[in-house]
Formats: sequence, structure tokens, C-alpha cells
Amino acid sequence: MKRILPFLIILVVLGVALGAGWYLTRPAKDSARSPNAVSINNPAPTSPTPVAKVTNSADPGAQPPHAIGPENAPAVLEEFGDFECPPCGLLHPVLKTMEKEFGPGLRVVFREFPLVPTHPHALAAARSAEAAGLQGKFWEMHDLLFENQRTWHDQFDARPTFEGYAQKLGLDMERFRRDVNGQVVEQRIFLDGKRAHGLGVKGTPTVFLNGREVPFESLAPDRLRVLINVELTSTGK
Amino acid sequence: MAENYEASVPKREVAILYGLIALVSLAGLTDSIYLTIEHISGRSVKCTIVSGCSEVLSSPYATVGGIPLALIGAAAYFSVFSLATLAAFEYKLAGTLLTLLAGLMFLTTLWLLYLQAFVIGHFCQFCLVSALVTTILTVLVVIARKFQT
Repeated sequence: MKRILPFLIILVVLGVALGAGWYLTRPAKDSARSPNAVSINNPAPTSPTPVAKVTNSADPGAQPPHAIGPENAPAVLEEFGDFECPPCGLLHPVLKTMEKEFGPGLRVVFREFPLVPTHPHALAAARSAEAAGLQGKFWEMHDLLFENQRTWHDQFDARPTFEGYAQKLGLDMERFRRDVNGQVVEQRIFLDGKRAHGLGVKGTPTVFLNGREVPFESLAPDRLRVLINVELTSTGK
Repeated sequence: MAENYEASVPKREVAILYGLIALVSLAGLTDSIYLTIEHISGRSVKCTIVSGCSEVLSSPYATVGGIPLALIGAAAYFSVFSLATLAAFEYKLAGTLLTLLAGLMFLTTLWLLYLQAFVIGHFCQFCLVSALVTTILTVLVVIARKFQT
């Protein structure tokens, strides 16, 4: 018995470990979470995950919001994002594709949710985007920040790089430098944050489609496309 | 001579030490199973205020040949548990293999700490727990070997 006992103990622990792994990764009945590797560009081969309902109302956020697409679009996608967050950077081209594919059927709204202190440059990036927005170039700066995320992410001080982007966009630099540290920009970021907290946003990217949160796993292009189509179909457009 | 040598080895203390190593390895196994699930479910890939795990787990260093590093860690901790259990029951080869494995795991831990500090620039608290467990295991294995020799 003494010779067998260690092997029995090992087998029991192996069984418990495998059982725990299986139990915690099994697809939940109500969310169909996939046990397979999931990332924004590598969706699990399962049907799209249904969106969870938002249960409470929240502050409206900065007004007017940064939005692409008509105000009365049948599908409104609201992203709470952080320019320094790698998954937000991965979501950027996905949303660009959706904008192109759905045209006037989709309205994309971007909300600031810089994760400080996790991301040291996130606040400066949000301020730069908002300051560019005051000169009508929010989306241009938004695109530059996400497309070059890897470049400025590793810098000690990314602000000169952001100023470089502002110059590239032909912004009034004196005004840009003033606005970056101005109260209007600060207030907009604060209001978006207030809305985020009201909606229970804990991380980035968090996306709402017509007021309902899209689980992170469903932000893969194929799944998101289906979810948007469902919204378009349900509104009959 | 050989009999005298066997008798001089404090078997009970060594068995307790290996038992302790097995228990500590279970903490590492639990931690790495959790990290594996976080990795494959994609949950930690989202950025959050409180954790740097998203940066670490979404980095290119989080997988080796497409296999999550956390899963390799889970396999390593399970091997430590198995070898320590066998060593506690006086399987001599198990003790030798455990020493080699603990050394390898400790070196890997140092490399991963370096990556988090200087390459990725973020620390994941669950990876740090794993580093702590591996360090404790290495120390315990060294003590157990000293007892035996």
C-alpha cells in the first residue's frame, strides 16, 4: 500500500486540477463563453455571444460626444477606450472596418477612459486627442495615437510625440499647447469618466451597442459584424 | 557502511520537507491554473485599473510556440508536486529530478521577472505570486538536499 499511496495522491491531485480547469473554462449557459483562445483578431469558432443588458442609467458624458455616423443611426456603438491600452489598439482597425462596412447604419462614439496609473501616457494621450478635438481633428488624432501606439508607448515622455502629431495635423500649436492643459479638455475627460463609472466600466476597451454591453470576446470582427446586423435587423433598417 | 549512511539520514525531517514542497507546489499549481484560464478565456486581455496582467498576458512573451506560458507553469508545478510526493515516500531518483526541475524553474522565473521589469514594463501580481512560490520551492529543495547529503 505504501508503494501505491504516492501515486494515488498524485492521481487525485491531477484529477482535481483537470476538473477545476474544465469547470472554470466550460461555456456558461447564458453567455456561451468559449474555452478556446480568444482575442480580438482570433475569435473562437462559436456563435456570437449575446450582449448583456445595462441595468442602470448613467451620466451623459462629455457633450457633444466624439462620434462618426449619423445621430439617428440604427446601431450606436460606444467605446470606452484608453489610447495606451494594447487591446484598444487592436480594436481600432476592427471598428474602422465596421464603419466602412455599415456606413450610415452605424454610429461610433468614443469615450475617454484613461487607465491611470496602469498606463503612464494614457492621460496625456487623452488630453492630446481632446485638444485636437477642440480644433475639429479629434478622429485624426485618435487614429494617429492608436496607429502609432507601439512607438510612443515605450517613450519616457510621449508629449513631444503627441505635439508632433498635432503639427502633422496642421493644428494651431499655440492653442493646442494651451488646450492640452486647459479646463475644457479636463472637464470632457472627467465627464466621460463619470459616465463610465455610472455604467460600471472597469476596464478598456468596454463597448456598448445600443446601450447594451458587448462582452470582450464578441469584439472580434466576425462576431461584432453579426451583432451589428442583429441590431439593424431588429430596427428594420 | 551503506547501512550506517542510510541510518544517519534524518528520514522523517526529509519526508516532512518534501511534503511541505508538495503543499507549496499546490499553491503554484492553483495560481498557474487561474492564469491559464485568464489567458485562454481572454478575460485578462482587457486593460483594467488594478492589474498589469492584461499587458503581461497579451504580450508576445505569454506564449511559447502557441502554448500559454501559464499552462507550461501548471505542468511544471504538477511535476514538482509529483516528484516531491514520490521523494517523500523515499523514491531517490525523484529527489534528484526535483532538484533539476526546481533549478530550471528558478532560472525561468528570473528571466520572466526581467521581462516584466525591463521589457514589458508591467508586473502581473499573479505572475509575481508564481515567482515567490518558485523561490520558496527552490529554497526548500536545497534544504531537503542538504539534509540528504
